[in-house]
Amino acid sequence: MSEFHELLENKPGKKVLLLANEAIARGVLEAGVRVVALYPGTPSSEIGDNLTLMAPHIPNFYFEFSTNEKVALEVAGAAAVAGVRSMMVCKGPGLNVAADPFLTLAYVGVRAGMVIVVADDPSMWSSQNENDSRYYALMGNMPMMEPSDPIEAKSMLLDAFKFSEMFELPVLFRTTTRVNHTRAPIEFEEIPVLPHKVQFQKDPLRFVPIPSVARTRHPWLLSQIEKAREFSETSTLNSTEGQGELGIITSGVSYNYVKESLAQMGIHAEVLKLGITHPIPENKVTDFLRRHRRVITVEELEPFIETHARRLAQLNSIKVEILGKEQGYFSKVGEYSPRIVMEALCRLQNCNTPINWQDIDKRFHGISDIPPRPPLLCAGCPHRATYYAIRTATRGKAIYPSDIGCYTLSIAPPLETADILFDMGSSITTACGLSEVTDQDVVATIGDSTFFASGLPGIIDAVYNQHRMCLVVLDNRTTAMTGQQPHPGTGITGMQKEVPAIDIEKVCKGLGVNYVKTIHPFESIAGLVGKIREMVKWARDNHSPAVLISREPCALLTAADRRRQGIPLPKYYVESETCTACKRCLNRLSCPAMYVDPETEKAVIDDNLCNLCGTCVAVCPQGAIKREEK
Amino acid sequence: MNANNHNTINIAITGVGGQGVLTLAEILAKAALAEQLNVRVGEIHGMAQRGGHVVCTVRIGTDAMGPIIDSGTADLLVGFEPVETLREIHLIKKNGCVLMSSHVQYPVAVSMGTTEYPTHESILQSIRGFTKRIIDFDAMDLAQNSGSSYALNMVMFGAIIGTGIVPISKESALRAIRESFPKKFEKINIQAAEAGFDRVKSCV
Repeated sequence: MSEFHELLENKPGKKVLLLANEAIARGVLEAGVRVVALYPGTPSSEIGDNLTLMAPHIPNFYFEFSTNEKVALEVAGAAAVAGVRSMMVCKGPGLNVAADPFLTLAYVGVRAGMVIVVADDPSMWSSQNENDSRYYALMGNMPMMEPSDPIEAKSMLLDAFKFSEMFELPVLFRTTTRVNHTRAPIEFEEIPVLPHKVQFQKDPLRFVPIPSVARTRHPWLLSQIEKAREFSETSTLNSTEGQGELGIITSGVSYNYVKESLAQMGIHAEVLKLGITHPIPENKVTDFLRRHRRVITVEELEPFIETHARRLAQLNSIKVEILGKEQGYFSKVGEYSPRIVMEALCRLQNCNTPINWQDIDKRFHGISDIPPRPPLLCAGCPHRATYYAIRTATRGKAIYPSDIGCYTLSIAPPLETADILFDMGSSITTACGLSEVTDQDVVATIGDSTFFASGLPGIIDAVYNQHRMCLVVLDNRTTAMTGQQPHPGTGITGMQKEVPAIDIEKVCKGLGVNYVKTIHPFESIAGLVGKIREMVKWARDNHSPAVLISREPCALLTAADRRRQGIPLPKYYVESETCTACKRCLNRLSCPAMYVDPETEKAVIDDNLCNLCGTCVAVCPQGAIKREEK
Repeated sequence: MNANNHNTINIAITGVGGQGVLTLAEILAKAALAEQLNVRVGEIHGMAQRGGHVVCTVRIGTDAMGPIIDSGTADLLVGFEPVETLREIHLIKKNGCVLMSSHVQYPVAVSMGTTEYPTHESILQSIRGFTKRIIDFDAMDLAQNSGSSYALNMVMFGAIIGTGIVPISKESALRAIRESFPKKFEKINIQAAEAGFDRVKSCV
């Protein structure tokens, strides 16, 4: 909700409340970054959301929503090779998509500063796994920084660009959800003027890593990372504070929890906070281990720092007890909190926690009547209509490969149309695999943005290898899950420029799919059911892939449009005399805008929540759901 | 409050995705910043927004560093909906204050008949197992009377200021509202906040 205009103000010293992702977008300006490319992914999404609005107002700046993360890294990587500062942004699983260019980019290096922001998601608030991206820095020998809060998210970003230029290497800038999605007061710094276009200086013996070139680059990379380690030893980003017998090494958001815990428990300890976690300042850590009999490592997910500490203790024959995940003081699962740190400290010190959490937990778990409220498809979501039709047409008996997006929520009853999912684009490819080994019908679903990001190779596979599978493209005209970003099918670019949209139907036909049809789910549910039956039969008869595009804008876009226009539309209602309280509408659709009147047991539509899709009208066997006259 | 954490006020705000929980947290924090106070807001975006349960944190004071409010550490729990308030009741500290809107939004599981919605008395009874300080009123009614159900979060904003627990003046709160929304919604939002403020002021 923060205004992007404010992020553009060249007012050094001004203090504004910003989400860390907004602070990073502001940091892009202050660092003089010329190119940013990304594919949206929560918890990093708001970085792009702000940059796309800011982009047309920044002279010489280029921003794009790339097709996917691999593309984004290559676009931004080339810009930094050419000699302008660039940045790529992704969520944890997005870096997996970009792993290929990532690992080679470190070999060739960059001529101007480049930062790769990766937002990991401990506790998986909006991700399919909680992989720890820090290992990419280790594997790729790429320097890495970990800010601990929104303030550092901006200040360290500026450091990261300088660091990158010092060693001609991209820097991995690793955040976690609790950094990205925290707001804090942020102080603005000066915005420099961006450079115009640069002349690309050819140097193929550096930038084209054929084996003979790569063989010279690997030793170069190792020597650069060693120089970076020397810098890391003296950098103020790796610093100690406090005094005490106990030593604690930490990084990222966990640093806050350590500080809060020590203050609350009144424990004296020396804390080594690592801002640069690759290359780790080996001498600094070694000296720290020497100073303490016991050292605790506090970091979410994998024992990254802990393993380094153990390695250094062993290398230097230091007698020190290192306590972390290996002995079970901390978990590899989920995000931390001050409580988790305090409980570990208390276990170590054999004392009671300052708050009796066991008692609170016991009392809380004693409350048995809290109905669950999991996330679900919004009221008026077109996916609900499409999934209802898919389920009806196939009587729930087909296999339903799903994909990454809001629509994965169709896993929940009563839709239950998500059976298998690996990653972006896997709906199509898992459908290919499944159709070869079963006789069941396979109906996969993929969103429009995911279709462009990772769907096309799967379609080519299905066409060329003649897989008997059906695909429904849920084309809601946006990248909905991450917050309504445009994609190549929308006709709007990251620079807010209108361009010809890429037509999904033409793409499928061009790739050789012989059954491609488009339908609008809100026009006729019965028609949609019929089309799906026809498609399934066609795929079976022709032993080839069939594609149905179900096109209807995201309910949130429609609702926002309606609010902007401010014209009240006729409402839907349940005619009480006709409703027989059979609850079919509720049981088949699970729409959040409908509930049961506790007295009459009949269905009611909540005016405040209904988004006017009308799907329920088609589901009611009595015709009891009606719309007000205009 | 704990001796070493005495200058931090922890506010947890909970509700259903779409009710305006995140917006309230941001405006509350902006008002705190305008009062020259240090502040942190913790949010979760993405899946959690889609009609599901949402909880947001606002921490005000010099010691506020991280975004998390642990069980038993919230000075104020603000609930936009009864069951969602109950879901986060573990956050409240001993003698902390619960500010709850009594307007029910049925979870789908209840509509589908797979589970029941607890009675209001049963919810209050469970909350009393954690704190006796409960302010319970129909904020949706006040929002609609002010002109729109969308102003529910501004009713709750006014109510928070009305408790006197948060070191933000009513003037700063109203200024934050004026500065944060388009002009055309100003009247409704201000009216909603005033209504929430008056409603709570009368019972503290």
